[in-house]
Formats: sequence, C-alpha cells, structure tokens
Amino acid sequence: MSKVSAQRQHAFRILMRRHMPRALRVAERIVRDPAEADDIGQEAFMRVWTHAASFDPKVAKFTTWLYRIVLNLTFDRTRRRTFQPLEEAGEVPDTGPHAVERLIADEELSLLNRAMAGLSDRQRGAIALFHMEGLSGEEAAKAMNLSAKAFESLLGRARAALKANVQKIQDTGSYA
Amino acid sequence: MTPDQFRELAETWGGDVERWPAATREAARRFAASAEGAAVLAKQGRLDRLLAVAPEIETARADRSSFLVLQRLAAVPPQHRPAWHQRLLRWPALVPAASLACSVMVGVWLAGAMPYVQAPSDAFSVMSGVFDVYAIGYGSVQ
Repeated sequence: MSKVSAQRQHAFRILMRRHMPRALRVAERIVRDPAEADDIGQEAFMRVWTHAASFDPKVAKFTTWLYRIVLNLTFDRTRRRTFQPLEEAGEVPDTGPHAVERLIADEELSLLNRAMAGLSDRQRGAIALFHMEGLSGEEAAKAMNLSAKAFESLLGRARAALKANVQKIQDTGSYA
Repeated sequence: MTPDQFRELAETWGGDVERWPAATREAARRFAASAEGAAVLAKQGRLDRLLAVAPEIETARADRSSFLVLQRLAAVPPQHRPAWHQRLLRWPALVPAASLACSVMVGVWLAGAMPYVQAPSDAFSVMSGVFDVYAIGYGSVQ
C-alpha cells in the first residue's frame, strides 16, 4: 500500500488483482446489478489511488478501508434511486453436486434473493460483510462506520426482516 | 444465559457461537451443548449457509474492471508543469546558483583585500621586463 501511495502503478495493479473481486462482490450483493457493481468497483479503486496517501495501516486494515469506500459509494448510488423492481434480484449460482438438491437450493436462493431485495441497503451491507465476507462483528462495524452495538442491532434487524420477507413471499407467492 | 437470551443472540449472530461477541461465548457454549441449544443453532445455521453464498465474480470480469480503472487513470492529464521562474525557486535549482553567488563574493572580497601593485612604466623597467620574459622563455632552465 505504501507503494501505491507513492503512485506506483505496478503495485496498484497487484492490489486490484487481489481485491477487485471482493469490491465487486460486496457491491453486487447490495445493488443487485452486475453492471452497477462494476461501476462501483472501478470508482472505489479510483478513490483508493487518489486517496492512498490518507490510508493509515495503524487505524484499519486495507480491506476494512476498501469495504468502507465500496459501501459509501453503494449507499450514495442507491439513495438516488427511487424504485427497484424485485424482478431485478440477481440469481446466485449454486455448486451443489446433485441436480435435485441443486434445484431445491436454486429455489431457496431465488427466494432468498427476492427476500433480500426487500431489505434496506444498510441491512444488505451488514449481511454481506458478516455472512458473505466472513468479517467479525467488530470488523464489519468498523467498515460500516458503526459502533459494535449499532452493528449488532442492524444485523439482528436484517435477519429478522429477511425471515419476515421469506414468510411473506411463501404465504402470498410474491413480496409486496 | 436463559434460553430466550440464547435464541435472541442466535437470531442476531447466526448458528456459529464462535462468531458471537466474545463476552457471550462462554455461556453460549454451555447452552449450545443442550438439545434445545443445538436445535436453535441448527436452524440459524441453515440460514447462515444461504446468506454466505456470494455472487460469482469471474476473473475476466474483475480484470476488465481493473483495466478500465487503469484506462481512466491514463486519461487523467499529467500534473501541471510549473513555469521556468517557479522551477528556479526550487531547492535543486538553488544549489548551483548559491555556489556561483558564493564564488563571486569570494572573488570580490579577494580583489578588495589584496594589495594593488602598479608596475613602473619607465623605459628601463619595460626593457628589463622584456628581457626577463626572454630569459624565462629561451635562456632559462625551464
């Protein structure tokens, strides 16, 4: 990272190779649109390049800093949106070995994605960091610029809302 | 830890007690050993596994995004080159200028400090000088 601060493009290329998938993954989980996630990932690394000098490894890990940039960009963008149809919920591939199990898993994932679409961006962000990226509660709170208690509350509400949405979809066949 | 507290924590943090806040883990492990605790964790664990599935990001896609970032950086105009008089005021340019100034000052000081001796201009002295030069040029051991 110190080499990136010195504006060395070779080091920056290595950094992007390592961390670009992470940025795209988190952005896509929240915005549910691969093209928009790509834009966010690119913009995030433009910011990493231009603000590299302000990064302090004593304060946070690089990944925490990157997550924070990605989340800020994502929340900024989604705040401007007024309508997001549920049909845009992306499909998540499953790697199950058997066809029937895969079908069941696909249905579950489809249900989950539709239920996720009903969450707020911050709730999706909390789930993405804690469950998908495997961050600890403390790390995820830091990346979201929240206190540990606030993150706990957000994650709890996210999981509760998700379960309620799943129930609603199962009862009515669609989420309203 | 009561069953309700355990359930509440499981609903927030999921089915893996090791990922719960450190302060709650010890008591949670004890409760998790019971049949009731294990059932609560199993239920939440199933949801955890679904939530952990990440969108698949192909390497080619990530590489394309990285390439586009580099393209955008290349399109940013280079930093403004300062004018010649501004460049002169930077310290690398000041080193030779300061050396030259010091040399001039030492030269002026020496010129003022050393005694000025005017050569005599009578005919004998001139001739004597000429022959001395001749002697140095041809007749001397030099």
